[in-house]
Amino acid sequence: MNLWTTALKIASREARASALKFLFVAFGVAAGVGALTGVRGFSSAFRDTLRREARTLMAADIAVRQFNPPTAEQDAAAKRYTDQGAVVTHIIETVSMMDSAASSAPPILVSIKAVDPQQYPFYGKFELDPPARLRDVLNAESIVVSDDLAIRMDLSQGSTVRLGGQEFRVAGIVRAEPDRMTGSLNIGPRVMITRDGLDRTGLMQFGSRASHRLLFKSPEPRFNLEAMKTDLRKTFTDARVATAREAHPAIERALDRSTTFLSLVSLIALIVGALGVATSVHAHLQQRLDTIAIMKCLGARSSQIIGIYTIQTGLLAVAGGLAGVGVGAAVQLLFPVLLMKYFRFEAAMHWSPAFAIEGIATGLLVTLLFTLPPLLSIRRVKPALIFRREMAEVRPPLSERLRRQLPSLVSGALILLGLGAIAGWLADSARMGWMFIGGLAVSLVILSGVAWALLRALRWTVQKGPWRLPVPVRQGIANLYRPGNHAGAVLVSLGIGVMFTLSIYLIQKSLLAEVAGAAPPNAPNVFMINITPREHDGLKTLLDAQPVTSADPKAKPRLIPLISARLMTINGQPLQLGGLRRWERRFSQARQVSYLPEKPDDIQIREGQWWDPSSKEPFVALEEEAAVILKVKPGDTLRYSVTGREFDARLTAVYRIISAGPGGAGETLFNPAALESFPRQYFGLARMPAGSVQKFQRDAYAKFPTVTVVNAADVISIIQEVVDQVSLLVRFVAGFAIAAGVIILMATVAGTRFRRMREAAVLKTLGARRRQLLGIFSVEFLVLGLVAGLMGGLLATAFSRLLMTRLLDAEFRVEWLPNAVTVLLVGALSLLAGWLASARVLPQKPLQVLRDE
Amino acid sequence: MNPPILELRSITKSIDTGAHRVDILRGIELTIDRGEFVAIMGASGSGKSTLLGLLAGLDSPSTGDILLDGEIISSLPEDSLAAIRGRKIGFVFQSYQLIPTLTAEENVLLPAELAGESSSSCLERARHLLDTVGLAERRDHYPVQLSGGEQQRVALARAFMRKPPLLLADEPTGNLDSTNGRQVLGLLLSLNRAEGATLVLVTHDHELASHATRIITLKDGLVVSDVRKGDAA
Repeated sequence: MNLWTTALKIASREARASALKFLFVAFGVAAGVGALTGVRGFSSAFRDTLRREARTLMAADIAVRQFNPPTAEQDAAAKRYTDQGAVVTHIIETVSMMDSAASSAPPILVSIKAVDPQQYPFYGKFELDPPARLRDVLNAESIVVSDDLAIRMDLSQGSTVRLGGQEFRVAGIVRAEPDRMTGSLNIGPRVMITRDGLDRTGLMQFGSRASHRLLFKSPEPRFNLEAMKTDLRKTFTDARVATAREAHPAIERALDRSTTFLSLVSLIALIVGALGVATSVHAHLQQRLDTIAIMKCLGARSSQIIGIYTIQTGLLAVAGGLAGVGVGAAVQLLFPVLLMKYFRFEAAMHWSPAFAIEGIATGLLVTLLFTLPPLLSIRRVKPALIFRREMAEVRPPLSERLRRQLPSLVSGALILLGLGAIAGWLADSARMGWMFIGGLAVSLVILSGVAWALLRALRWTVQKGPWRLPVPVRQGIANLYRPGNHAGAVLVSLGIGVMFTLSIYLIQKSLLAEVAGAAPPNAPNVFMINITPREHDGLKTLLDAQPVTSADPKAKPRLIPLISARLMTINGQPLQLGGLRRWERRFSQARQVSYLPEKPDDIQIREGQWWDPSSKEPFVALEEEAAVILKVKPGDTLRYSVTGREFDARLTAVYRIISAGPGGAGETLFNPAALESFPRQYFGLARMPAGSVQKFQRDAYAKFPTVTVVNAADVISIIQEVVDQVSLLVRFVAGFAIAAGVIILMATVAGTRFRRMREAAVLKTLGARRRQLLGIFSVEFLVLGLVAGLMGGLLATAFSRLLMTRLLDAEFRVEWLPNAVTVLLVGALSLLAGWLASARVLPQKPLQVLRDE
Repeated sequence: MNPPILELRSITKSIDTGAHRVDILRGIELTIDRGEFVAIMGASGSGKSTLLGLLAGLDSPSTGDILLDGEIISSLPEDSLAAIRGRKIGFVFQSYQLIPTLTAEENVLLPAELAGESSSSCLERARHLLDTVGLAERRDHYPVQLSGGEQQRVALARAFMRKPPLLLADEPTGNLDSTNGRQVLGLLLSLNRAEGATLVLVTHDHELASHATRIITLKDGLVVSDVRKGDAA
């Protein structure tokens, strides 16, 4: 019989004899693994759902946009993907004048979009009035028009219009066009036509300015779109190649950050679970010290004993892991049912065995990592312990003490590295792994230091202080620093647990504020273009008379001035555009810019500062992508030309647009002093109830026939839905992880109860009443909880700040209220957990306990 | 001729508590031959338990050598010591020291299993020993389900499990009432006779010591008397 079978036999006998204690240890593992697999599986399934939702905004998985028709080489590149099962469709957008065959009204500039109705759109619903499928009604002889155009030209189904001298029949009015927001709004109302129809107009024959879009639909859901995008970029050198996630940078950021956040939460769930494991295993082995000493007396080698307990904890980890996977699966199956009315599901949740295996493996690895220090200390258990339990604490010289601590330090470092590796692997980012190691190591050092200082301070207070404390307080505090007490260890693990759990809360709070900013409930859903100063006041009056969706002043309609400005020089140097893609060279042309005194809500300053609204000096602020392309930073002087007049403006700020739809902010903003004197047009934004938009379109046309009113209510509602679901998901997962954290923290406190049993028994034999015991324990738990809450809270603020600014690239606001609440809450929870754990300890007969020893 | 089972050469043991040094044993010379029944006596703090721990290789002396069966054990690494203990030494402790999570039978089997033996003959021997100490019926009971006397009888069976040439006992009846104490002592002596082991017993109980063939008395870390039965006159 070899070492392992003996070890296995003894390990399983032990487990059988004290099943309850083992259940307790396994519980820690189960909670951790459950949180991990639940969070991972849940968020992965939701991520897919949300991605599907997001891609409807582009109607495709990948879009390639350029100003030339695809070359033969580019067609070949596209074909490589269609050969793999991808589908591609070519869309051409151009502008032209259109007039009605029936009336003598002047022609209107329209934006024409030529599609293949058999293919377009890949995702999302294209809705027509009267209801019909695009492929059934759109042919070489027909077009469909947007509702604003229908109103302006008084068109309805069956009307005839002329485009490029050819007649087309209006087959329907567009009610919803999923990718409406991906093109430019500033061109004009929409006309949809087939490729054959476009050919018939002859508009494309003179090298007319048109943009070409290739929409790709990936062959299967898990296709590597990023690789495909990189590959396509090589052939489409002048094009903008974007995956569906990039169609709206704000949504992309929301999805990206929630993805990072969710990995983060899984990690934290894992670490907090690991803490539960570590404390339970540690307590378990502490109780086994006598058994270990006896076994050594009976001839067991250290390696044998380490084998026994490694197997035992391994079995515990696997058992706990299996239970945890069960919990995780239950969470994944149960919550969609409960949350069905909040989430829109396209597909049923799938349960992936990969997460189960991942969960069990991680649980096992973490458990073994955390068991390492106590297991290694088995080697130092002296069999003579049996004889001389009362042996005085021998304090060897520092070098000797360090030498003895070496295995602990080495295994501590191993644990940190192991956790970092798991973190990096789970998050798919080595950087995150290192941040975790760093955060954890610093927290460990700080918490250990605080625990050390605190215990000494408490000891001084009780022993040397000039006061006489009540008995329960004195005893309770004395319990904390008594030799052999684990207060230090419990404090450290509680503190770490609080830190991570609170971090989840703080990060999700800051994150949600930003995510919600991408599509605030009052985001404009109606846009107006081509507004002249003559129409400004009248339109404003009409807008103010419209029904509003909210009394919030931010929901009020706005008219934003637009001026065409061209960037001439940067710090006196002409623009250097070599090496830029054609898409990026747009900054050398005249662009629509705006001016406003105060910083609008939908932008966030990334560098520099907003200007002083009262200053008379010209200032300019740039969107961050523009600043990167132009290689400018705050302080630079930019020379612009407006209507032939040139002026210098100092760049004061670089900003990021955080709203998803078109807001007031374009890529360039000036202060009023810079632009007020120039002729301008206006761009209008308003939020209206979806049902009243059509009436407004008609009213506006009646009074201001040249103003184009774009109804984006449908698109904005899709964006808001995506953002709402992201927020809900983040909130839900965070809530779940926090709940798991709280349970594990309570388990950590409760885990000290086996030690407490003997203590209670001894005190009882000395005449302590239950109430006194409860008082003593309460003081102990309360002090532990309050200190852990305070330290954990401070560390959480620091850690969240680090993660938010470095990893999630977002702002972090320090908030003291959650910290204060945390301190009180952890104190209360610790007390509660202590009471729950003591509830079973207190009524026990002292003799029973003492004999069990 | 076989070497003596135990030989102690100038053994000292001191503990440094940082503040001050305590000399527990201050130079012990001792030889114990095979088949002897030695009682080590002395007041509390005379160093007798420390001495027993050193004999068993549970602790190492500050200076001096201990030879077990002619082999120096005082400088062996812990794992080699454990193997020697498993093979050559049986233990009986004052507070029984059964493993609480193992049944009586499993406790008795443990030394054999730790040595990697687990044939059916081992199980037979364990049951035979439990039968000898009168606990055949209670072999599936856990230590908490047994009285003190019964626990100590399980411990006796465990000590003899591997037929050790040397049996060390630390106040084996110290925690028992006189009836149970006598029963345990009787079993200890008869098992010892049957197995032919050398018995070294630490006690401050004169009645217990009176059964020994040799009585060594310690005081302040030194041997103050060493009397063999029959020499006394």
